[in-house]
Amino acid sequence: MAQPDSIGPADRPRRSFLYRTLDEAGARFVEINGAAVAVDFGSAETEPDAARTMAVADLSPLPRFGCNGRGALEWVRGQGISIGDANNAAYAQPDGGLAARLADTEVLVLDSLRGSGTAVHRIEAAWSSDEASGAWPVNRQAGSFWMMVTGRHAPAIFAKLCGVDLRRGTFPPYAVAQTPVARVNCVVVRADLGDTTAFHLLGDCAAAEYQWGCLLDAMREFSGRPVGIGALWRLDQGKSPA
Amino acid sequence: MSQPNRLPPPWGLLIDRGTPVSFTFDGRRYEGYAGDCIASALAANGRWLLSRSFKYHRPRGVLTMTGGDANSLVQLPGQPNVSADRMPIAPNMPVSAQNVFGSLDRDRAALLGWFGRFMPVGFYYKAFYRPGNAFRFWERIIRRVAGLGRVDLDSRPGDYDKAYGFCDVAVVGGGPAGLAAALTAADAGAEVMLVDEHPALGGSLAYARFDADRATADRLRSDLVAEVSAHRHIAVHTDAVAQALFADNWLPVTTGNRLYKYRAGAVVAATGSIEQPAVFRNNDVPGVMLGSAAQRLLRLYGVRPGRRAVVITANDDGYGVALDLAEAGVAVGAVVELRAQTGDGPMAAAVAARGLRVLPGHGVTEARASRGHRHVTGLVVAPLAGDGLPAGAGERISCDLVCMSTGYAPDAALLYHGGGTLAYDDDTATFAPATLPTHLHAAGSVNGRCALDAVLADGRRAGRAAARDAGHDAGPVPDAPPDPSAAARNHPWPIFTHAKGKEFIDFDEDLQVADIIDAIREGYDDIQLLKRYSTVGMGPGQGRHSAVATVRIAANATGRDVNAVGTTTTRPPVGPLKFGHLAGRAFDPVRRTPMHHRHLEAGALMMVAGPWLRPAWYGARTARDGAVRREVRAVRTNVGLIDVSTLGGLEIRGADAAEFLERMYTGAFSRQPAGRARYALMTDETGVIIDDGIACRLSGQHYYVTATTGAVDGVHRAMLWHNAQWRLDVDVTNATAAWCGVNLAGPRSRAVLARVCDDIDLAAGAFPYMAVREGTVAGIRCRVLRVGFVGELGYEIHGPADHGEALWDALLDAGQDAEIRPFGVEAQRALRLEKGHVIVGQDTDGVTTPHEAGLGWAIAGEKTCYVGKRATLIQQQAGLTRRLVGFATVDPDAPVPEEGHLVVRGREITGRVTSAFRSEAVGAVIGLAYVGPEQAELASRLDIKIGKAHTIEAVVVPRPFYDPENRRQEM
Repeated sequence: MAQPDSIGPADRPRRSFLYRTLDEAGARFVEINGAAVAVDFGSAETEPDAARTMAVADLSPLPRFGCNGRGALEWVRGQGISIGDANNAAYAQPDGGLAARLADTEVLVLDSLRGSGTAVHRIEAAWSSDEASGAWPVNRQAGSFWMMVTGRHAPAIFAKLCGVDLRRGTFPPYAVAQTPVARVNCVVVRADLGDTTAFHLLGDCAAAEYQWGCLLDAMREFSGRPVGIGALWRLDQGKSPA
Repeated sequence: MSQPNRLPPPWGLLIDRGTPVSFTFDGRRYEGYAGDCIASALAANGRWLLSRSFKYHRPRGVLTMTGGDANSLVQLPGQPNVSADRMPIAPNMPVSAQNVFGSLDRDRAALLGWFGRFMPVGFYYKAFYRPGNAFRFWERIIRRVAGLGRVDLDSRPGDYDKAYGFCDVAVVGGGPAGLAAALTAADAGAEVMLVDEHPALGGSLAYARFDADRATADRLRSDLVAEVSAHRHIAVHTDAVAQALFADNWLPVTTGNRLYKYRAGAVVAATGSIEQPAVFRNNDVPGVMLGSAAQRLLRLYGVRPGRRAVVITANDDGYGVALDLAEAGVAVGAVVELRAQTGDGPMAAAVAARGLRVLPGHGVTEARASRGHRHVTGLVVAPLAGDGLPAGAGERISCDLVCMSTGYAPDAALLYHGGGTLAYDDDTATFAPATLPTHLHAAGSVNGRCALDAVLADGRRAGRAAARDAGHDAGPVPDAPPDPSAAARNHPWPIFTHAKGKEFIDFDEDLQVADIIDAIREGYDDIQLLKRYSTVGMGPGQGRHSAVATVRIAANATGRDVNAVGTTTTRPPVGPLKFGHLAGRAFDPVRRTPMHHRHLEAGALMMVAGPWLRPAWYGARTARDGAVRREVRAVRTNVGLIDVSTLGGLEIRGADAAEFLERMYTGAFSRQPAGRARYALMTDETGVIIDDGIACRLSGQHYYVTATTGAVDGVHRAMLWHNAQWRLDVDVTNATAAWCGVNLAGPRSRAVLARVCDDIDLAAGAFPYMAVREGTVAGIRCRVLRVGFVGELGYEIHGPADHGEALWDALLDAGQDAEIRPFGVEAQRALRLEKGHVIVGQDTDGVTTPHEAGLGWAIAGEKTCYVGKRATLIQQQAGLTRRLVGFATVDPDAPVPEEGHLVVRGREITGRVTSAFRSEAVGAVIGLAYVGPEQAELASRLDIKIGKAHTIEAVVVPRPFYDPENRRQEM
């Protein structure tokens, strides 16, 4: 599988809130969405296995878009994004992305793990200053960290960090929880990668390093470790970049 | 000989004879096996004396083998009050006795036993309260003598954590009833959590006899445990204690160093029953133990509890104990049967068939012990003339083991926690559940079922009912099964008083029968008062082995029945709980700005600002004054850069955005042009200042409002709360984290900014003071505010947080030629003080109003309403009682007052200092202070008390202290 060329973690002005931490852990970076993303930690072959067991990956540079307001749902739907009727649910998009309906007035659009940002950038461009729509963009790109917690022990480590029941049987794929995780308000979206349990985790970017530390501490019991986005591509069969 | 009391297999379910473990007790080395607890390993080696009692320092040994008493408490390094009954031995574990003077074997404090008659119940209250301060003297001595373990203040904290857990049905107790309940509920589709406090499942099946040849227990245990372990719907926690049952089936479960917070759909309490000691003289000496304790030693640990035993019984279980002892090679001197007739069950028949001596209708006069009460040497028994009344001199039966099997109490703590009640049946002398709330079910012996078939059936019933409560189709729930055998389990009065006393009711607290009687005679006849006055049930066992005897004695002494006496309140936790469990892993979120690491690299000393870390100044901790002075000078004379990313950022958008701000803030915003910024002051309903910031109108329907670092979350909540009522067409988003911010300030700031910003006209006329522009800075899309908090030409630049570090780097690079210097919070505070700006939270307090703080100018008087308007008007009409004024010290070299230093007039306190700083620009010590209105006039003299006997003189001066014409910030 072809991968983009490596770049330095701070080569671009947009930077992950965790780039130093990832760099110190031995990450190799590639450019996605105009920023450096950790693609692996020097063990690309074994990282998918780690991700099946217990791992966390930083996706912070990947494109995403938030929209608030009384007209948010209709406006985002009008941009070709498929959103169902239930709150606290995510809806899969044809390009591999997700649209999480957080409330009647709040939508979060996540790009696919490819990070091409096609849909997200299209929506951003479409909004401009259409104030009459009652839909207002929320800068989730800059304001939130985005991590993915994967593996069969993922529900167990969340049990140590948050009070919502995220077990496989009770928190189905595409379920959304808005809950404190280690006392940081977060959005949790279950989005399995193949048969591997996986959760998107988005929260206050200023607490990214704190949250990363909490996750690694909690997953120590299960020999959890950081993995690069390359491992997620491998698990998300057929959805890796060409 | 090593382990002389160790029995051969198959005795010893829990021990691994292939793994010897060596440890020490009071400095002497002992050998045990993996799986042994401290008490069993010591007993295997013939060591029975484990501890000294709380008050009289009497020798104590194995009593229950459940950890439910103070007899087995020992000291480990850094860990006092460890139950030797429960703590597994580990290689080289140094165990020691606690609460001894000298040594455990020769405890000098045992002399206290000779003075027991002078230490009646409540003697603390009576003896040490006079004269006035006497108790302070006695308290130290009492605490020293009556203490338990030692807390090691130097011990390192352990790693504890917490985890949430969820299940449909929580089953507490892994005995036959619990196993049956778990399987039944799980078969119905429920997700079951089974918790048991012991290392292996099985409960009484692991050690009790149940039938004459013990044919059933082992097989049944093995089958049930295998089935439970293999069931995909059952999660098992062993060595775990369900510490409480709170509302909505919330169960804290401790295991190892973790506290689980389980939420269950329904709960089955299959917690079993607690064997109760008989009460007779010297019933506390080592070698006297519960029958079930002897069986646990035999079956679980393969330890022979004695060589020659006497069994005191009033039920069939005592015969089972006698049979077990006999099979283990212990000579059984007699079975002392409190009932008039020998038991009629199969186990009694087996005892008879073995030719063991049974003494029906007999009671206990006293136990005899070796010198110093080190170990039991015999039991004096006699025919009963009535309940508790042995007649005549009696017969002394030599023994080194006395087993007590005279009755049980339900282990009902969780039932009480859950809101259940228990009632006492006088006919069977039994406590049993009377009422239980929905979603809580009792099963097995805690529910008054004892025969194995009834216990299993009751477990299945409870499991079915719980699964149904949790929403599963479990089929019809049968009635609780009958169990006639339960009626013959408890003796109503296994209590034998003695003229010389020492018949212990509460082993933990060294309370004898006379103590309870005396307390009642003194008027403490209510069970709750009796508990508190006598301290019965207040020791580590929490009344497990004393409550039943106490209520029986209280009922007898007061002429009431047991139900009328009642029981004391049972509160969590069920078992010992460490502070570490309660504390768990500390989650203390720390927020860092995107430039955090740049500050560290530049040598910043970071300070806490709410949840954030901010640079206080750039330099060593000890170099504060010089560093702050340099940073201030850079901003005043050149250019400085400060990270203000922690400032709150609120996006207020929608058709009613202007109206919303009009209501939330004191100022006027509806006619504010786009591209302009205004000061925004927020008050609450009482007119008290709660925050301030800058409101930037970016377009007709869009304001970007800043808030103070510590208050933004509260401001956001208040906005949402108010608009939930107002229902204005406005969206309020807390975008604090999304925006990084820097303040580029100083006379050369325009020139620096111009090097990285080419799409905003920075000329003074095109971009005036209090204007807002959107454009790019170093290629990064930003909002640029011309504001002047520090009183110089300056630009507050807000950009996307994920570009924050690049923005910081670009500005420092652009300012390199201008010798730009980053500055910290301390310099910023000094700079704004020179400009006389108020910091909400520092120069205001919880009652400060706008007019007091000199911020009346920020109120748009013509507005019809804003939050706090009515209160502000009333305060204005009532007149001010204090005012915030600027002051300068008369002596420019005077010491700098600290925040909170008092403004005094003679002996009267008239105000306090809120901020102060030695200003190079002003050439004096300047500050802000609240003073009475009569002191607020310009040139008024103020005395500021800065020490016990040190006052400095200051004078009220106009604000701002620096650049009063604002030429520098508007240049």
